[in-house]
Amino acid sequence: MSGAHEDLTREGRVWKFGDQVSGDDGIIDFSAVRDGFGKAFDEPLLKSMCFRRLNPRFPLEVQSGDIVVGGANFAHHNHIEVSAAIKLSGISVVLVESSESGFIRRALSQGLPVVLAPGITKLVQDGDRIAVNPATGTIRLADGRTVKTQPFSERMVAIWRAGGLVESLRHEFQAGAGTYG
Amino acid sequence: MNSSLPRGQTIVQKILARHSGRDRVEPGEHVTCVPDHVVTQELYWPTHKRNLDRIGTYRLARPEKAVIVIDHTPSAATGSPHAATHRLLKDLTAQMGVENFFGPNTGLRHLVLVERGFARPGSLIFSDEGNIASIGAVGALNIAMSSDMLVALLKDENWVTVPKTVRINLHGRLQFGVSARDVIQSILRDWGGGEFLQCCVEYGGPGLAMLSMDDRQTILASTFHAMSDTAVMDVDDIALAYVRERAGDRPYEPVASDADAHYERVIDLDLSSIVPLVTLPPEQTGATPVGAVAGKRIHQASIGSCAGNRLQDLRDAALLLRGRKIARHVTMYISPGSQNIYAQAAREGLLEIFAEAGATVLSPGCNTCWGYLGVLNEGEVSICTHQFNYQGRNGSMDSHVYLASPLTVAASAIAGEIVDPRPWLLEASPAGSVA
Repeated sequence: MSGAHEDLTREGRVWKFGDQVSGDDGIIDFSAVRDGFGKAFDEPLLKSMCFRRLNPRFPLEVQSGDIVVGGANFAHHNHIEVSAAIKLSGISVVLVESSESGFIRRALSQGLPVVLAPGITKLVQDGDRIAVNPATGTIRLADGRTVKTQPFSERMVAIWRAGGLVESLRHEFQAGAGTYG
Repeated sequence: MNSSLPRGQTIVQKILARHSGRDRVEPGEHVTCVPDHVVTQELYWPTHKRNLDRIGTYRLARPEKAVIVIDHTPSAATGSPHAATHRLLKDLTAQMGVENFFGPNTGLRHLVLVERGFARPGSLIFSDEGNIASIGAVGALNIAMSSDMLVALLKDENWVTVPKTVRINLHGRLQFGVSARDVIQSILRDWGGGEFLQCCVEYGGPGLAMLSMDDRQTILASTFHAMSDTAVMDVDDIALAYVRERAGDRPYEPVASDADAHYERVIDLDLSSIVPLVTLPPEQTGATPVGAVAGKRIHQASIGSCAGNRLQDLRDAALLLRGRKIARHVTMYISPGSQNIYAQAAREGLLEIFAEAGATVLSPGCNTCWGYLGVLNEGEVSICTHQFNYQGRNGSMDSHVYLASPLTVAASAIAGEIVDPRPWLLEASPAGSVA
C-alpha cells in the first residue's frame, strides 16, 4: 500500500475562483454534458472550455500540476464531465471552501483529489505557488506557512494514487487472488 | 464543563462510528465504514459491468448485502437499450450470488429497502442516489456513492466523510390542504443555497408525530436538493411500529442524538405556517404560494417519483379525482412506488378512480420522473410530484416542469391549469375532514 516514504505533495500554481461557481454551467458549458451514461468524453472539447467563462486564460495557460482553489459551494450542479474537464486540464489538486460531497466522490473516482479546506480562499491568491499533500492534509502556503485540513483515509489515498477507482481496484485484485468468480 | 471534553454525538456520527469500529467520529473526518446493505439500480450496471471486467472479478465480498433493483425502466420499449440491461442483471446477479435482486415492477429502491426491512433503525446503507435518504424515516442512514459503489460491493467497505449535522425541529401540524411535499419545498426555498453542504439534516421535534411514514419519506427524499450529504429522522413510536411489522427477526437498534450533541445549525419550522406551494422551473429554490401561478395552463400532470409515489400520495390524488374527469387537454400519469402500493391501491379502489378520471396508471417505477415515459414536447407545461424541474429533464429543453403536492397536481389536472387544491378539496369533502 502506501508509500510511507513516497512524497505525495503536489506543488503548483494556484488558479483561484470564487463562491457559488456552477459546474455544468460555469466550469464547463452544459452543452458538453453527454446524453446518457457510459459514453466517452469529448476530451479536447472539455479541456478547451474548462474554466473559460470564469478566466479565459485558464485553458490557454494551465500547466500540468497546477492547483485550483475554489470558494463556497464550488462546482454545484455538476455532472461527471466537470471533474473530468478539470482532471484533463492537468490540475493535480482542487482545494475548496465547500462542495457537494457527490462532486468530491466522483472526482476522486476519476483520480482527481478535491480537498475540503475551509478558510483557504483567505490564505491564497491567484498565481501563488502552494504545495498540498492530501494524504496528510498539509497545505504549504506561498509565504511558507503551513495549514492543516483533514487527511484522506487510506482508501482515498489508494484511489488517488492509482489514478482512479477502477485502476485502484484492478491493482488490488490483480495483486491478490481476485479472479472471475 | 471542560470544553475540551468530547461533546455528545448526533445520529449520523453514532451510526458512522458504529460502522467504522470506533467509539466516536468527528465531522470532517474521512473514515472507513462497513455497510449493512449496498443498493443499486439498473442504469449504472452496464458501466459497473465494464469496470468489473477491467478489475478482473465478479466476486462480491458479501453478496447477501447487495440489493439490486430495476426501478428506472420497468419495461423496455422497442429499440430501448434497457432490455439488454434487464437481461444483464438477471444473468449477472445469478452469477454473483445476489439473492436480493428485484426485477421490473417491484418498485423503487427506496420502497424496497423499507417495505422489506433491509433498512432498519441504525442501519448504514450505501446507495447510488442521495434521494434514498427517504430511508431515514426508519432511522437508517443513506450514504450516496458513485462508480465507487464497486468498492463497497467488492470490499465490503468504503470511505465516508463524516457530515456535520443540521437539526430541523418540526412544530405544529399541517393545515387543511397542505402536504409533506409543501414542507420540503418550503425548506428548499429557504435553505437551498448551500447552507447544508457537508451536512446531515436531522429532523425531529414535536411536529414529527403529526407526519405519517409516507409524509416523512417525501420530506427526506427531497432534502438532498439542499446539497446536504444525507438526512435522517428521529425514530418515534410511529416509525418503530412500521419497522416491527417488516424487520422480522433481523436486529435493529434505534439511534438518537445526545442532548449535548453539536449542531451546525438548529432550525425551528412551524408546520402550520406552510401553505400549498408550487416550485417554479428550473430551480429547486423557486417555491411560491400556488396562488402566484394559478391559471397557468398545463398539458401534463404526474403523480410519481421517490418524493411522491406512496399510498398517501395516491389517496390524496384519488380524493380529488373521485367522480371527476381530468381536463381534455391534459395527460395524467400515476406511477405507484412499489408493487405493494400498487396492490393496496387496487384493494382500496384507487385504481378504478384513476381509470374513470382518465388518468394513466403506469407500472411501479421511476417512469415519468426522469423522462423515460411521459415525454414533454416543446412549449408544454407539466405539474408533477417529480424530483427535478430543470430544463430538459422531462423532454424538450423548451418544456416547463412545475413541482407540487399530489393534491395540487390532481386538482390542476382536473382544472386544466394550475389551481389551489383547497377549494376543490372542500367540494370533495364538505366536512373538511381531510388534512
